[in-house]
Amino acid sequence: MRLHGKSVLVTGAARGLGRATALACAAEGADLTLLDICADLPGVPYPLGSPGQLEHTAALCREAGAAVLTTVADIRDLRAVREAVPRAEDRFGRIDVAVNNPGIAAPSGKPVHEIGEEEWSLMIDVDLSGAWRVIREVGKAMSARRTGSIVNVASTAGLVGYRHFAGYVAAKHAVVGLTKAAALDYAPTKVRVNAVCPGSVRDDAQAEGRMLAEIARALDVPVHEHEKTFVEAQPMNALIEPEDVAAAVVFLASDESRQITGSVLTVDGGFSIR
Amino acid sequence: MSGPLLPAARCHAVRVRWDRSPNSAALSVLSGLSALSGLWTEDVPAPAADPPAERRRAAELARPADGLRSVLLRYADGPCDLILVAPRDQWDRTALARLAAGESPGPGTGHPAAGTAAFAPAPAWGLGDDGPTVPHLFSLDEGGDEAGWLAALAVTLRRYDPETSPVIGTDHGSFTVPEARTLGELKHAAADGPALVGLLFDEAEVPGAYVPCLAPPFPLTVAVFRDTDGWRLRCDHVSGHVSTEIAAQFTRHLVRVHQQLLDSPGTLVDDVDLMDETELERVAALGRPPRPLVTTPVSMPEAFTRIVAATPDRIAVTDGRAGLTYRELDERAAQLATGLRARGVGDGDRVGVCLERTAELVVTLLAVLKAGATYVPVDPAYPADRIAHTARDAGLSVMITRLPEFPEVAGCVPVTPDEVLHVDERLGVDEVPGVLDTASRPGDAPVLPTAVAPTAVAPTAVAPTAVGPTAVGPDTAAYVIYTSGSTGRPKGVEVPHRNVIALVDATRDAYGFGPDDVWTWFHSSAFDFSVWEIWGCLLTGGRLVVVPYFVSREPDRFRDLLVSEKITVLSQTPSAFAQLLDVDHSEVGVRLVVFGGEPLDARMLLPWFDRHPESVCRMVNMFGITETTVHVTEQTLTRGLALAATRSVGHPLPGWHLYVTDPAGRLLPPGVAGEVCVGGAGVALGYLGQEELTARRFVPDPFTGGTMYRSGDLGRLRPDGRLEHLGRIDSQVKIRGFRIELDEIRAVLLEDPDVRTAAVVIHRDDPADAATARINAYVVLSGGAPDTVRKRAAGVLPDYMLPTTVTALDALPLTPNGKLDPSRLPPPTAPRSSAHDAAPLTADTHADADTDLTERLREIWSEVLGVPVGLDDDFFELGGNSLFAVRIGAALRAHGLPSLRLRELYRHPTIRDTARELAASAT
Repeated sequence: MRLHGKSVLVTGAARGLGRATALACAAEGADLTLLDICADLPGVPYPLGSPGQLEHTAALCREAGAAVLTTVADIRDLRAVREAVPRAEDRFGRIDVAVNNPGIAAPSGKPVHEIGEEEWSLMIDVDLSGAWRVIREVGKAMSARRTGSIVNVASTAGLVGYRHFAGYVAAKHAVVGLTKAAALDYAPTKVRVNAVCPGSVRDDAQAEGRMLAEIARALDVPVHEHEKTFVEAQPMNALIEPEDVAAAVVFLASDESRQITGSVLTVDGGFSIR
Repeated sequence: MSGPLLPAARCHAVRVRWDRSPNSAALSVLSGLSALSGLWTEDVPAPAADPPAERRRAAELARPADGLRSVLLRYADGPCDLILVAPRDQWDRTALARLAAGESPGPGTGHPAAGTAAFAPAPAWGLGDDGPTVPHLFSLDEGGDEAGWLAALAVTLRRYDPETSPVIGTDHGSFTVPEARTLGELKHAAADGPALVGLLFDEAEVPGAYVPCLAPPFPLTVAVFRDTDGWRLRCDHVSGHVSTEIAAQFTRHLVRVHQQLLDSPGTLVDDVDLMDETELERVAALGRPPRPLVTTPVSMPEAFTRIVAATPDRIAVTDGRAGLTYRELDERAAQLATGLRARGVGDGDRVGVCLERTAELVVTLLAVLKAGATYVPVDPAYPADRIAHTARDAGLSVMITRLPEFPEVAGCVPVTPDEVLHVDERLGVDEVPGVLDTASRPGDAPVLPTAVAPTAVAPTAVAPTAVGPTAVGPDTAAYVIYTSGSTGRPKGVEVPHRNVIALVDATRDAYGFGPDDVWTWFHSSAFDFSVWEIWGCLLTGGRLVVVPYFVSREPDRFRDLLVSEKITVLSQTPSAFAQLLDVDHSEVGVRLVVFGGEPLDARMLLPWFDRHPESVCRMVNMFGITETTVHVTEQTLTRGLALAATRSVGHPLPGWHLYVTDPAGRLLPPGVAGEVCVGGAGVALGYLGQEELTARRFVPDPFTGGTMYRSGDLGRLRPDGRLEHLGRIDSQVKIRGFRIELDEIRAVLLEDPDVRTAAVVIHRDDPADAATARINAYVVLSGGAPDTVRKRAAGVLPDYMLPTTVTALDALPLTPNGKLDPSRLPPPTAPRSSAHDAAPLTADTHADADTDLTERLREIWSEVLGVPVGLDDDFFELGGNSLFAVRIGAALRAHGLPSLRLRELYRHPTIRDTARELAASAT
């Protein structure tokens, strides 16, 4: 039980990597605050997490023995985040770990000059600023207690460029930058900030992920073809499973990584090596 | 775990069970509460009795809160738990009681919060281990009152640590309880200082299951309270301070003391029993060995005869190039025994033996035993007055010695082994060969023995069969060995045959001793470690290799001997072994090293383990006492234990057992330090001619009915029955009112990676004036400087324990027994002037005075001895000793000069002679 007794906040927890991470934390003895927007966003061309999906994640975590608090909040709204975090602190006494896992992959699929201002702002607001708002709200209490771990789920798009994904790539690169800067800010108080950069993660049926499918759609290629391209691009010749990413998050959340901060851990089957 | 208090330390929690979902009467209560501070509802997808549900309850009960937090757990099979957690200062039991009764809670009244001062330091008795923290829960018949618990805590704490005045924290201040005659007279008073133990007492009844604190606010927190199950006592502990076992034991003792206080307040505080009969039995059993002893009491000559019969032609003793087979050893000893009988030595008589460490000495010791007598070994290197004291005190009429000038002692006749052998033909003494040709001649400095000619024993000597049957049985004294002790004159310890036989039987199979083993005989026969070496070897059929004195003092030559003789069993004092570690020892092929005679710092073995893994060579530390026949306990050391710097000396040997007692002789529980008392197969007969002292130290064993020896050593049992040896009780000294543990200072110095070995002594400039006392430390460094060592120690030790001086030495001086010899430590290094303005003792008039070698020798001597040296100054007159000799040898090597054997320096103790010797050996 590597996270025994720890209170973990996960954003984007209704499905996909968020769900897989929550479950992995529950299995390691953590109690969970699961946060998701549970609503669709105008401008995002696919459905986001639903209340039912969030409840399902919670039920799975409870079966694993965790106490779970679910919170519906839009991380684009600082006030919503400022209400959600104290609720979690009330329920569990504190937040030991925050996993920033927000992410929209689209609107994308076009060259930089074709991106509209609203499209650009939306991407930055969710994928980058959403992480900043959560850090802003949990960082102060963690610093005061001189303990805590923040894990930002970035992407290989935070390390290299992807054609026709300028907004996503810019936001994820910025998340890596935010990780390093925040790590320095909090290092004196022993609060750690790290990033995980997943490669192409399979849209697992149990996790209800759909990121890969949406990227394929944005690029207007069939999903299986898109998967094939990525499998070939990842030296280990396989897509990443959600649990692979969750395992990296658990490691960075746990005290096993107590001397690791500001690091960027890739889980990409070797994609970013070359 | 010794950091600042967790927020949880200030929280209470309570759990109230509902049989079904609270949608009836309870709901109103809950809605009231909900309005007050919110209610979290959780569905637990498991039945209330299942482990997952239990884990969820435990998690909720342990979750800290800033304000009141209430959680309703709804289990899959219907029941619900309401769990309330709140900081102590917001806790309101009256409201809770109403809640349980189905009423709405009113506003709380609150308790003041406990002080959150820093934790008290970890107590030695707590055996803190950073292991799991397990709360211990007791049901009590009676709750008593807070004053009673404070008194009971104080009594228990004083038993655990008599030196420290107890300070007990509560949630309304700290208290102490001054000593009083009876339990009922104990009264608490306000006190300051960090509290090791805290008491949270509350008599208001709390519904449900109650958790008085989520994390211990004190290193050891005792809470006495009432919940639905009645009076309860719960003990929470910080595991870095107090281990789970010790916390449970402490709580048990506290409850017992409190019960005695309630039942019979007139009980004298001194008469309070911490342990009941069952626990006493259990603790007594803890000090017994894991294996029983299988032994047949016989006399040592009888046991030896069996070995001779089994392997008559194997070599028993090797001395230089000479060897004696078991048969030869047996025959020669028998001849000598006959001579002793002829001289009038009878059963049970004591015979002094004052010979150099040679094969002849083994023959002589065995001969004394064969003659039915008791041997009294005396080291010829001892000062004359000590030799005389021994001869007088032991009432010796015969002293077998080759000392040319034996001190005059009334009634004691010094004889040589040759004279004993040829008692019937006194006139021919000088013409016939001696008991052994290996023996040194009177007047010679000790030298390596020349080759022995086993057939050279003259046919005129008495026949081996002539030794008459003796009536000596296993209960007669085999030897009397004099121990100095820390005070007074040396006293003779009488050890019977059966003890030595038991020692051999206790270890033979466990260590696989047999004819293939080759043992060293390193130690003086006057030191009982040699009893182990000689008889451990000869009574298991091994080969005993004599280590001559000079070899024993020169690590590289000793190493060479270990290699060339293929030694398998090496017995060493840690101090002597440290010197062996300084030379390259990778070729040494021993399979077993046994430590004895001194406390061992396990860390010093790490360089040995680097070259000799545990699977190849077993390292065993044996704690022992002369009065209990060499050894008492055995601890096999591993690299892991060495890294952990274990102080454990292990379990007793089969047949031996031990107790740890307080000054009143009561058994002490594990963890608590007290006097080590040893019973069983090794207990000696007593002190020769000192009935009063014997009666004081050799006392009835309250558990086995035998005799046990009160050792004067300080120790504590661990809960697993292993003994931690903590030094001599009388090594605890006070400086300016502070209790100083020299061993503790030494341990801190040894933590410095630059320090290889260390000694700490108290020095008084004016012996009569305690105010002039200061602590001097001596260290052997592998790097760094004494100043740095002291600076580092200053970061750990309190001021009053910090050594005033730290002096670096090349080696620590050892006694002939291989133990640290404090009397030969040089004066501590003081800021010294570089100019030597004193004149040399002798004027240099010789023409060769300025030769290069001589000049460099003079520089080295002056540097080492710290005085200007003339060419004909005698090394010893300048204060030279073996330690300085070793340092001169090291300096010569460092300067690339030919090496100088210790023996040569002793023979040629001036620079002129040494230079000549070196020049001659160089050509």
